[in-house]
Amino acid sequence: MYLTKEEERTYDGEYGWANQICMKILVRLGELFNATRLIPISSAHVAGVSYKTLGDAPAEFLQALAKADGKAKVRATLNPQSFDPEYLGRRLPKHIREKQLNILKQFEKMGFTRSLTCTPYYLEKPKRDSHLAWAESSAVVYANSVLGAWTNREGGPSALAAAIIGKTPDYGMHRAENRQSNILVDVKTSLRNEAEFGALGIYLGKILEDKIPIIQGLNDVSEVKLKQLGAALATTGMVNMFYHNTRRERGEIEKIIVEAEDLKRTSEELSTTAEVKPDLVFIGCPHCSLDEIRKIAGLMDDKKVRAGTEFWVCTSCYVKERAEDYVKKIEKSGGCVLTDMCTIVSWTETLGIKTIMTNSAKTAYYAPTLNKAETVFAPLKQCLDTTLEG
Amino acid sequence: MKYITLKGRTIVQGCCKAEALVSSKPISFLGGVDPTNGKIIEKDHDLYGECIKEKVLCFPHGHGSTVGSYVLYSLAEKNLAPKAIVNQTADPVVVVGAIIADIPMVDQIDIKRIKTGDVIKVDAYNGVVKILKRRES
Repeated sequence: MYLTKEEERTYDGEYGWANQICMKILVRLGELFNATRLIPISSAHVAGVSYKTLGDAPAEFLQALAKADGKAKVRATLNPQSFDPEYLGRRLPKHIREKQLNILKQFEKMGFTRSLTCTPYYLEKPKRDSHLAWAESSAVVYANSVLGAWTNREGGPSALAAAIIGKTPDYGMHRAENRQSNILVDVKTSLRNEAEFGALGIYLGKILEDKIPIIQGLNDVSEVKLKQLGAALATTGMVNMFYHNTRRERGEIEKIIVEAEDLKRTSEELSTTAEVKPDLVFIGCPHCSLDEIRKIAGLMDDKKVRAGTEFWVCTSCYVKERAEDYVKKIEKSGGCVLTDMCTIVSWTETLGIKTIMTNSAKTAYYAPTLNKAETVFAPLKQCLDTTLEG
Repeated sequence: MKYITLKGRTIVQGCCKAEALVSSKPISFLGGVDPTNGKIIEKDHDLYGECIKEKVLCFPHGHGSTVGSYVLYSLAEKNLAPKAIVNQTADPVVVVGAIIADIPMVDQIDIKRIKTGDVIKVDAYNGVVKILKRRES
């Protein structure tokens, strides 16, 4: 791999241990995947922020990096943590809160933005054709497929290293030749809502592995539906990117057909129970956009959340601040708009939540193992019908 | 006596001599290794219950969460890390873990030729693994 003089000096430790170790990570990974050089990135997004999934080990490394003056050189955002500081934070034991806050403190010392969201693109939209080093698989698929930016699916540590160096090795999705579609998916049924887009993603992820599909036959497409599709594709597969409703310019490629029956079965499998009174109804995986919150507030229609059910809408602090009127409406009905956190990396079982209803295929897929919860998978409208009285 | 020499590729430089602990299964450091004592805790793993401390840990490749890299760092901080890592095929999780924990590492080695209990020398400057002494059976 070719390194500039400056990069070599970093590699040799002239700019301290933090920069050296991060440069080593990038160079070794680059060599592993046949990169030729490092390229500048416009932002990095780091996953692995929740104390629940990280445990104690990473804090030690983050502390060492921060102490050695590791500093992010580009805009660097963070994935969600394990609780919302206002609502859930108070209900969790002190030692958990302290460990989580210590992790955040180390990132902040290194100049990371306290974004705490899995949808950093709602805070600042990356430019088309810009290079990124993003972890968080749902955001990776969204960036590549919907926003037209270029990023590999980074791991937590490699995104961290890229943030501190401001560069990433030029392999994989950073090369045009690796962004060509190589399989055609023909969807033979019309998808009615965001949940069905999610179910399609779960179904396809298992079949596609790391292929890049052109998905044809999608109607009534929206960015929110594509967000659900992408998040689900990355949940069961290694898919980094998809195209939709375009035509491949040339060449014969493999083709698969998706029938209504395939998606019906997938949706049914994402529910583990038929419980009609779930402990929690959860919207916001991936985090809600302003439009989604507006839509939810509209559907609440001044009705009340029924007793015995929690209703959570998750988003970033940034979006919540801009959705003030809708948030008031949701809260008035007895729902909660929670920020900074991800339900599937949160301590729901500690809070006594045993059944989760959601419109997110990704959450429905993970909740049985990560939250030890039963799941009910249904579109937004149905989730709200279950949540509200009358 | 002629030693068996296996040639691979350097991932992290270093040199050491220690007993081999060999697995035919991939290892996930997150959830698969107890960071407080260095023991393999993944159920149904062929090294279940074994301690990786100060061994030359030989396994095909890593799997699972990238948080696993940090677990290797944490093990090294507590002196519970393996002395070296020998892989069939290096994967990003283990590579990053070995770099930040500064554990000598070599890949592209035919690990089937190494048996648990063999005394081996890892020369990760030159990407070479030598079997110095077979385990006495």
